Amino acid sequence: MPDEEVIEEGVLNPLKQEVQDPLLKQIMQESALEPEPQPAEIPLPTDEVDCLVIGTGAGGAPLLARLAMAGLKIVALEAGPWHDPKTDFATDEKAQEFLFWNDERLSAGKDPVAFGKNNSGTGVGGSTLHYTAYTPRAQPDDLHLNRDFGVGVDWPFGYEELEPYYEELEHFLGISGPTPYPWGPKRGRGYPLAPLPLNGAAQLMERACQQLGIRTSPAANAALSARYYQEGVGWREACTNRGFCQAGCSTGAKASMDVTFLPLAVAHGAEIRPNCFVTEIERDGQGRVTGVVYEHNGVTQRQRCRHLFICAGAVETPRLLLLNELALSSGHVGRNFMAHPGVQVWGTFPEDIRPYKGIPGGLISEDTHRPPDADFAGGYLLQSIGMMPVTFAGQVVRERKLWGAKLREYMRNYNHIAGINILGDCLPHEDNFLELAEEKDARGLPKPRLHFTNHENEIRMNRHAEQLMRRIWETAGATDIWAFPRSAHVIGTARMGLSGDDAVVNPDGRAFDVPNLYICDNSVFPSALSVNPALTIMALSLRTADKFLESEQRRDA
Amino acid sequence: MTSPHYPDGTVRALLDTELVTEATRTALQARLDAPPYEPQFLEPATYDLLRAVAACLFPQPDRPDAPIELAPGVDQRLAEGRSDGWRYDIMPPDREAYRMGLGGINQTSHALFQQEFRALTPDEQASVLQLLQEGKAPGEAWETVPSDRFFEEMLAELTELYYAHPLAQEEIGYVGMADATGWNRLGLNDLEPREPEAISPQPGL
Repeated sequence: MPDEEVIEEGVLNPLKQEVQDPLLKQIMQESALEPEPQPAEIPLPTDEVDCLVIGTGAGGAPLLARLAMAGLKIVALEAGPWHDPKTDFATDEKAQEFLFWNDERLSAGKDPVAFGKNNSGTGVGGSTLHYTAYTPRAQPDDLHLNRDFGVGVDWPFGYEELEPYYEELEHFLGISGPTPYPWGPKRGRGYPLAPLPLNGAAQLMERACQQLGIRTSPAANAALSARYYQEGVGWREACTNRGFCQAGCSTGAKASMDVTFLPLAVAHGAEIRPNCFVTEIERDGQGRVTGVVYEHNGVTQRQRCRHLFICAGAVETPRLLLLNELALSSGHVGRNFMAHPGVQVWGTFPEDIRPYKGIPGGLISEDTHRPPDADFAGGYLLQSIGMMPVTFAGQVVRERKLWGAKLREYMRNYNHIAGINILGDCLPHEDNFLELAEEKDARGLPKPRLHFTNHENEIRMNRHAEQLMRRIWETAGATDIWAFPRSAHVIGTARMGLSGDDAVVNPDGRAFDVPNLYICDNSVFPSALSVNPALTIMALSLRTADKFLESEQRRDA
Repeated sequence: MTSPHYPDGTVRALLDTELVTEATRTALQARLDAPPYEPQFLEPATYDLLRAVAACLFPQPDRPDAPIELAPGVDQRLAEGRSDGWRYDIMPPDREAYRMGLGGINQTSHALFQQEFRALTPDEQASVLQLLQEGKAPGEAWETVPSDRFFEEMLAELTELYYAHPLAQEEIGYVGMADATGWNRLGLNDLEPREPEAISPQPGL
């Protein structure tokens, strides 16, 4: 195959030949036969919708439902397909790889972040299709790192703005958790359902923490500990302890968007279009968004809209803005890229654990929210973790560098291995950012390149956490203890703030540069928070919808 | 400290029951029934080299006639142009990385033992791979592709393919796929009848 050799040779030098992806090559070969579709050939849209939403995850789905319920004509475009989890989802990690955003991202910096299954998603429901369902609230001081420590930036509003949405979400989604919750401010209402049962790893952590004087509690999880009736959706059955949340829930017990907000949105007239990948955002002479161009099963389409909501996550959202040179005046699109410190500590126990059973994040401690002996700003939470064998084995070989007979020997301990990890705050740094690479993807669009290096604060926090978790696991009776350093969720690449000088969107989620453009996902977080982001993204989503509706009412008045 | 051993046949027996959903059974049975594979992307000699590397990374003396084949999964992915969503920025695209990296393994083998990798003894092969892992392997290819990152990426891919196989899952006593009725016994040392017990001493005892 001489032709292929020539193209492969060119891979090393993008100036000669920037086509590096086999799918793109195929597309180019096809388009050499047919002329590329010109914008004028895109079918003219028959109608304009009030609101168009890009992405159906934790950022897009709640506001889609809220705005549909307000009577607006609204459409959501989702890059991935629409699954039926009951029949499509296997209890098999490889078979479930379709849940992840598998278009390649280039990972740079001293601590390159893993993407794919680590922290990305696609499909109707977005990353919530494979989130762990861990839904702690942020604590009030999470929003004020600058006030309290003089680092990072504060959120442009306080906890009181999020609190009512947290409460609404906990009851709408049917979150299982402890009442009262041991940390943070006193709550008006408790969780609607009792906590899920503790699995082996959670029991080991509970036992050791008790001896060490560390408070623990069953965690808040968005998976049902009992049958639950949900407005607009119907009955959802209780969790069967499959332990497979991170590769897709097939029973509907986990509150992913496809079994909660999205059916509610559809019931109120919203339209969801799967397999629609947005490439262009169109504007008029005044810079207002007029619509988007997207690819649907190989056909280029256009949808006009009066307002656009980009909810595509902290990589695809800034990528879309950069590709379209949209809302860039602050210079902060792609900057302030933060990734949660998420170091894990593993150990081998005499007990039979069977780590595939039960809700993975069963037990939590927030005693480390502001540790008294901390030599860093902010803090972290501790949680027990379950694990699926394929993901775990991949981590073992990357970190412990085992292979051959030694690897097979270690992996035979699988049923006796348990882990704990942290989820900690991260500070923004000049050299941690997203940019467009020269290298193109299968669509001919530049791939995103993300630079990430842990700085002093993250390094100190990880060290503090690793020491503590090692002590917990030693106390629990573990041997062969080892740590897996990792960065989890990606955050902050189109941040919210009070001024368009150093932020992309205002406190309502509206772009400073473009009056009819809203952004809602983890990219708008001004700081990373010391908790898993899903619940706060959903809270922001409902709040963004309410702020939008208020502004529309003001205009009408 | 000895790791537990589990009986053979556990996952295969469960696949025939209603404890496994149809989607799960389809995924796992396909791996058990995988037909002989002809490489679609790699040249035959390069593909054989990949098989030899996989055999060194996952020696299977317990399956002399029918080892779990790991090279097909890699070749198929490269042929289809699939990605796992990211790659180290310092690495070339996956197809190029594999082609150059596998070539580099032969370069290192020649530099050390004047023969290609497949002709080396198991100990010699292991020492070649060890140098790759440590980033110290001699060979021109490693000036373009960092050998330690190439080794890490290749090992991680082969490892995930290995432990996705039902026979490897039997080996580690994993029956998480048999969850159609859910799990009721979650606590320590609390097994359900379908969860296999180890047949040799447990670790730490």
